Amino acid sequence: MMTLLTTEMKEAAEGCTSSNAAVHVRGLVKRYKDGTEANRGIDLDLSPGELISILGPNGAGKTTFLRQLTTELRPTSGGIEIFGIDAVAAPQQAKQMMGITPQEAGMFESLTVREHFELFARLKRLSRVESRRQTTQVIESLNLVTEAKKRVGLLSGGQRRRVLIGLAFLGHPPLLVLDEPTTGLDPASRLAVWGVIRRAVTDGAAVILSTHYIEEAERLSDRIGVISRGRLIACGSLEELLGCLKRSYRLSYRDPLDPFGKVCERHFASFADAQRQIAHEQFSEYSIARATLEDVYFTLTGERFAERDEIA
Amino acid sequence: MRRVSDIVCVFRIQLMSMRKEIGPFLLAALVFPSAMYLFANAISRTEGGEQARLHFLAGSIVFSLSLTSISWLGYLLLENRFMGRLKLFATLPLEPSSYICGFLVFALVQASLGTITLLLLGRFFGAQMRPSLLLALVVLLTVLCLCGLGAVIAARARSFTEGSLLTDALGAGLVLLAPVYYSPEMMPRSLRGVSKLLPTAFAARAVETTLAGNHAVGTEVIVLGVMAVVTLALGFRLTKWREN
Repeated sequence: MMTLLTTEMKEAAEGCTSSNAAVHVRGLVKRYKDGTEANRGIDLDLSPGELISILGPNGAGKTTFLRQLTTELRPTSGGIEIFGIDAVAAPQQAKQMMGITPQEAGMFESLTVREHFELFARLKRLSRVESRRQTTQVIESLNLVTEAKKRVGLLSGGQRRRVLIGLAFLGHPPLLVLDEPTTGLDPASRLAVWGVIRRAVTDGAAVILSTHYIEEAERLSDRIGVISRGRLIACGSLEELLGCLKRSYRLSYRDPLDPFGKVCERHFASFADAQRQIAHEQFSEYSIARATLEDVYFTLTGERFAERDEIA
Repeated sequence: MRRVSDIVCVFRIQLMSMRKEIGPFLLAALVFPSAMYLFANAISRTEGGEQARLHFLAGSIVFSLSLTSISWLGYLLLENRFMGRLKLFATLPLEPSSYICGFLVFALVQASLGTITLLLLGRFFGAQMRPSLLLALVVLLTVLCLCGLGAVIAARARSFTEGSLLTDALGAGLVLLAPVYYSPEMMPRSLRGVSKLLPTAFAARAVETTLAGNHAVGTEVIVLGVMAVVTLALGFRLTKWREN
């Protein structure tokens, strides 16, 4: 599907590299012992106060990429700088700048939510007073007030997930690395987490998050990166990515010739082209919409491509 | 200071987690060793004397140290590793060595509780002893040495099941193979040499000597010290946040 990467898309991807970065990644390669190349030369820059979402199919290399950023996984080659600190050579120093939510992590079943926050805040070098203050803050912002005194072992999966997310925010780190933070959350909890993330960005934090939710990427991100087969195949703002589709207007209509009124889709380069088609075929039931990130995603990754109508 | 604060935090996390796990701890640190002491003490009334009673008390103290330091601590380290809690620590600017040291402090507190309780139990049942401060040094070195073994197993085990089986087997096996509850002459000839070299054998001899009020434990202290350095160095080296 690399052929689907347009010139505009390549330019957008190149736009991801800039100076004064919170995160500066160059030529990142991760090759496992069995020869699998999970990341194949990723370049990415992220500025303070910017949020980038990483999308990609399962097994595309998103988590491998984030695990290398968080120093959990040593890269085969390439460089990672976190606020100028070489994360490969000085992982502990680099981690001082980060708040991390791993995709999966266990917690201490018999510790309460508040105890988790307070103790891990201390491990993040916060004073006792500051630990308590920030614990209260995080508990309130993530709607965990009623659970604060409960043992973690008694919480639901979604509540545990929110505790894990909250741990990353302690200490107001300038960089947040969140691996599928809202997976398994109900809509209300997801909105609460989005609010906390956006506030952190407004306060100047750089955020990199991986997600499978296209809506999440659309609503939260300043830029969106798509990883497929270990490569960052596109990166840019939503507008830039949408601009990469040559036919970015989607006409949905009910086929007048089909006895069951089958709904069909066609894509057009402009709104006027779509209108002309409607007039020409005299459709009575139709709608015209701009292409979405979902269209871009499926075009780039090739997923579901065969099932869809013509795109670019 | 920062490192001390990290160690204290890891220690507190483990301590607070024990609220739910106090039962297994009491079983490992107190109930089993006490039962072994009472059992051996009953035999000593018929076959041994005061010396045998002291020998069994020393054996039970080492048994308690072995169960808490290898079996129990190893289990907790394994649980953290295989239940994903280690990942939580790995997200922090925390040195792996501080994490292990937090566990060592936790083990030392447990060992102190177990040893003091067994000494009181021994006194209650009439054991004549004159423990000195040297006993604390012997207990410290024994705990460090055995914790190192627990850390090595926890870091190297390929699965939780494999690791917990190994820590359980080693925790009890090191005591049962050492001449702690019986004389070395009662063992098969091929095992006598090996059993005398086990850390638990040195620990039991040193504990018994110090309980009797003697200070002639130089060799045992040196050997336990060397063993502690070796096993802990291995444990520290093998515990990593980072994968290749």
